[in-house]
Amino acid sequence: MRKLIQFKNIVKEFDGQLVLKGVNLDIYENEFVTLLGPSGCGKTTLLRILGGFLNPTEGSVLFDNEEIINVPPYKREINTVFQKYALFPHLNVYDNIAFGLKIKKEPKDIIEKKVMRMLKLVGLEEYSKRSVTEMSGGQQQRVAIARALVNEPMVLLLDEPLGALDLKLRKEMQHELKKIQQEVGITFIYVTHDQEEALTMSDKIVVMNAGEIQQIGTPTDIYNEPVNEFVANFIGESNIIDGVMIKDYEVMFEDKKFECVDFGFDENEKVDIVIRPEDLDIVAKDKGKLKGFVKSVLFKGVHYETIVETKSGTSITVKMTVEDKEPVFNEQANEKMSANDFYLDIEDVKELTEADIIARADAQAWNTETDEWNSITHIEYDIKEENGIYPVTFKTSSGTSITVNMIVADENRVINKEYQEEIYAVNFFKSSDEIKESIALETELKTWANASCWSMEDGNSVEITDVVYDFDPENITPGVYDVTFKTEGYEYKVDTTDEYHEGEEVGLWFNPEDIHIMSKKGSY
Amino acid sequence: MRQFRSMAYPYIIWIAAMIVVPMLMIFMYAFTVKGNDVTTFRFTIENFGKFFSDAIFIEVLKRSLFIAVITTIICVLLGYPAAYIIAQTEGKTKMFLILLITLPMWINMLVRTYAWMGILQDDGILNSILSIFGLDVKLLHTSFAVILGMVYNFIPFMILQIHTSLSKMDKSLIEAASDLGANKLQCFLRVTLPLSLPGVISGITLVFLPAVSSFFIPKLLGGGQFVLIGNVIESQFLTAGNWNFGSAISLIMAVIIMISMYITKKVDKVENGERGIFN
Repeated sequence: MRKLIQFKNIVKEFDGQLVLKGVNLDIYENEFVTLLGPSGCGKTTLLRILGGFLNPTEGSVLFDNEEIINVPPYKREINTVFQKYALFPHLNVYDNIAFGLKIKKEPKDIIEKKVMRMLKLVGLEEYSKRSVTEMSGGQQQRVAIARALVNEPMVLLLDEPLGALDLKLRKEMQHELKKIQQEVGITFIYVTHDQEEALTMSDKIVVMNAGEIQQIGTPTDIYNEPVNEFVANFIGESNIIDGVMIKDYEVMFEDKKFECVDFGFDENEKVDIVIRPEDLDIVAKDKGKLKGFVKSVLFKGVHYETIVETKSGTSITVKMTVEDKEPVFNEQANEKMSANDFYLDIEDVKELTEADIIARADAQAWNTETDEWNSITHIEYDIKEENGIYPVTFKTSSGTSITVNMIVADENRVINKEYQEEIYAVNFFKSSDEIKESIALETELKTWANASCWSMEDGNSVEITDVVYDFDPENITPGVYDVTFKTEGYEYKVDTTDEYHEGEEVGLWFNPEDIHIMSKKGSY
Repeated sequence: MRQFRSMAYPYIIWIAAMIVVPMLMIFMYAFTVKGNDVTTFRFTIENFGKFFSDAIFIEVLKRSLFIAVITTIICVLLGYPAAYIIAQTEGKTKMFLILLITLPMWINMLVRTYAWMGILQDDGILNSILSIFGLDVKLLHTSFAVILGMVYNFIPFMILQIHTSLSKMDKSLIEAASDLGANKLQCFLRVTLPLSLPGVISGITLVFLPAVSSFFIPKLLGGGQFVLIGNVIESQFLTAGNWNFGSAISLIMAVIIMISMYITKKVDKVENGERGIFN
């Protein structure tokens, strides 16, 4: 096959923003090439540079070994199917398709023959006199394709042409486009953000992200051997696990060694491991290569998406003390007052302010007749930077007072070396009413315990995905309860045809060739 | 929508009182003659006969139509490029250019026309400049002055109409045309121009109508030399006091305008393959 188009180090800058960061790409004759990537990855920009509607800031584009950067669009042997079709509203279907031929001043009878052939190809023979504005999206789409193809270009550019169609029509058009491409035998360059579309139609997929090419390959290559995490995530669903390549054909993850088919990595090189959900099987727990329990099950139409957790994440447990103290009642002033004990980190004692103390003790005073809040005017406390129990007294202007305990203790944090995560939470006191009235208990428990987790590598916060407790919030009675906060551990998405139940203990099975190894060093 | 229907009443009453009733009165006046007795009306087509049998009136009518047509043509020729350029600009530049076009409209039309008298008169600014080069041209009270005044006053309507239809146009259509092999000129002739025709047509309507019936521009800039149909109508009503004849001429004008509008619409439709996309 002959190289038809060569992009050489294409850089494009818009208002100081780099949209393309040096793209090199060769496209051969008669290929169906798809530029795939999320919106804003530069795929449309690259297509528009080829179409001649944009000039690159740097780099060159060779077409048939000739530089075409300075060739205007109307002189390029390239035609485009535009995103919103861009059909001429003042012309009917026939004249829209004949537009390019009329410009070239071809004889009338030839024009008619060619247009009719195109109408036949896209299945719109009976619509030639129709106004394009009266046609459906799918029909307009076909007119746009016919209008471009009738000029017999060497390359057809398609800029997300199926984006505006509904799912069913889109699938039909995908097959039709592929069929048309094979029939006319020219190069199609197709831009889309739909990975399924790309996998269905292309001979070659170019995965782009943030102005750079991530991977170039056939659909099977890209799907089975993604070169990095971005590609693995963007193309299909994946389980991506941290691991170490022990030696050729042997990889370790989850502290276990597994046979695999990959080689050529450094010894003990850190790698990302990709296992596709459809390559995993759920088996009896003692027969699996990995063991875990079913965390959630989602019905997806043709299969169940079952999440299996093999190892829980970083976790910390705190004590929640439920107390139902009667508020202090000052009959003379018609005033009630309430507050609760609270735990305090020894680290926080230094920076403690009166406002902090009021907030943490949840101290409040109110008039029993008017139900209006009264302010707390006076706080008495004595605290040292040592573990211990320190009383604090709140007073209002009418003389009502309440005393609670501040309990100073060591910081309660857990470091998880394996995940490089650090999690933190404090014990706390609550009344049973507050728990019963809570509408989003898990979120409130996180707030009350001041629970947070962060990565020790970059300091970014890590989401606490699970809050575990063993009380019934509706009927809670005073006492001490454990609350555990957890981050995500090792989870595997598995596509299954059988339905499993949440909490079931299962085993996971996979074959050596289902493990795909990606170097952490990244791209292609 | 139903509950808002009553909100149209004030407008309907306004239309009835200010447009329908006067039209009916013009109709009535046109087909009657002034009798000795105010209460007796006699149906007649005498007024129309008088107009069409008098060569002077026909001459005036022809001249009015001619000047209006010339004005309209000049407005299209000057207005289209202006509108095209404005449509290419964006943001503040565009707003500034549109402001420049509309700015003169903030000043009373009569005042502006008087200003032109000052510029064009024999010892006016323009002639003083021309005299430097040894030229002495009579400018005021010529057909040139009348057409200049009309173009000046009416061209904003043309520019704004064309600009609206040009800026509504989908830019990707131009890209598509260029992609299909059309160079800049072909893009313009085959896509931009046909798609902006509706704007041109409504611009023509908005210029031709006031131009054909204008009476103070020919009066001020044309002196007595260029009596146009508007002037005749004005003098019949205000000077001669012959409301019946004045009404008859108004009616004739109305019919001529309607016919010409019908023809332009027809042309527009033919241009667009009679599919009526724009209507």
